[in-house]
Amino acid sequence: MKDFIVIKGLDFYLDSKAILKNINLTIDSRQFISIRGANGCGKTTLSKLIMGIYPYSKGSIKIEDREVSEMSLSEIGRKIGYLFQNPEKQIFTSTVLEELSFIYKYREDIDKSRKEKEIDEILDTFDIRNLKNKSTFFLSQGEKQRVALASVLLNKPKYLILDEPTTGLDYKRKEMLSEILDKYKNKIGVLLISHDYNFVKKHSQKIISLEGGCIVYE
Amino acid sequence: MNNTIDPRTKLFLVLCISTIGLISRDVLILFSITIVGIIISKIFGGNFFVLIKRIKKLLYVFFFIIIIQSIFTRQGNPVIVIGGFEIVTDLGLNRALGYMFRVLIIIISGVIISTSSERNTIQGIVQLGLPYEFAFMTAVGIKFLPLLIEEFKDTYMAIQLRGINIMKLPIWERFKITSYIFIPVVASTLNKAKKLSISVESRAFRAYDRRTSITSLKLKYKDYLIILISLTTAFALIYLKWI
Repeated sequence: MKDFIVIKGLDFYLDSKAILKNINLTIDSRQFISIRGANGCGKTTLSKLIMGIYPYSKGSIKIEDREVSEMSLSEIGRKIGYLFQNPEKQIFTSTVLEELSFIYKYREDIDKSRKEKEIDEILDTFDIRNLKNKSTFFLSQGEKQRVALASVLLNKPKYLILDEPTTGLDYKRKEMLSEILDKYKNKIGVLLISHDYNFVKKHSQKIISLEGGCIVYE
Repeated sequence: MNNTIDPRTKLFLVLCISTIGLISRDVLILFSITIVGIIISKIFGGNFFVLIKRIKKLLYVFFFIIIIQSIFTRQGNPVIVIGGFEIVTDLGLNRALGYMFRVLIIIISGVIISTSSERNTIQGIVQLGLPYEFAFMTAVGIKFLPLLIEEFKDTYMAIQLRGINIMKLPIWERFKITSYIFIPVVASTLNKAKKLSISVESRAFRAYDRRTSITSLKLKYKDYLIILISLTTAFALIYLKWI
């Protein structure tokens, strides 16, 4: 196990209001960690700070010993896959197949000869083969989420951050997401942000609770 | 000054500015209107430059169109010639600059109108005699503009988080990838429109033929003065330039 993400003394203010206060956290590369907490406690903010989406001025966030503030979004995206709370934002193309092929078109560091095989595998893993040629406009919330997650995983990130992945999913879809996470359990580490205690308990090796911008339980 | 100017005055001012912007072919006039528009928007409490900063990424698309327009206009005298090929002509440059100033005038018009509150804008349009539905839809459009900009930014970020360094892509690929931003934004706009229509219907929108209003706008002395100045300037420009 290796320290993949190291956060030290992180403070984050938005419009002079403290959102996160003195956050210290170390995440191993294969660890499945969950962050719980009430609405507005700073869970999503913390994940966005790790992803370099928000800039921070006090404290340090390091991914594989590199300071996040010195990395570009694309560099962070190659190391950590991020599933937005609203997966609609990360589906850019008009069909599912185009969406899955997206990175092969624009990433110079990805082996393009493996495209067919890898897409084929991911279609089966996520049970979305029937959606292959479907328009992304007409996907349900659960389908959009699976397509977005499949596209993120085709990036082969070393770690995965899932922001409220169970929101809007019924029991069956949650089970489906559970099965997918189980398949990746020993291959990739996950930081899960969720309100869903049962879902969190089922998968996590470690649960962190945030309250008023501070870690209150680890 | 922002709250004391009637939204109808602002609409009238925008009408004058955009009319000149639309019919004028003179780059100098378009440039002058752009500068005057920026000053007016600042006086009314708007901040043109903040908006420009927020839509920075979208401006790349406009600049691309400007470059294409100047390159593909073959008429006129050559300005840039490389290896015997006329790359840019004076007419092409003129058209491209004209396009750029027109886009800026549209943005400035939006900034000027948005300095009034949503409620006052609706009231202003209604008191101009236009149907309430039209006024409501205009106000909704103005309200959703910042959200739309936010969506553009989020999607641009999401593309980069797929490990794609947009700035390192060849220029053509860079513009091509920018076009992908529109798909999630269009999808989300359609969704928002659908939800909004359900929401307004459920609140009995258009339940009665006539609506009453608690607020009533009254044009003041300075409103008449602004209308008079903008009308005189617009007519003077049209008369001197085209008649």
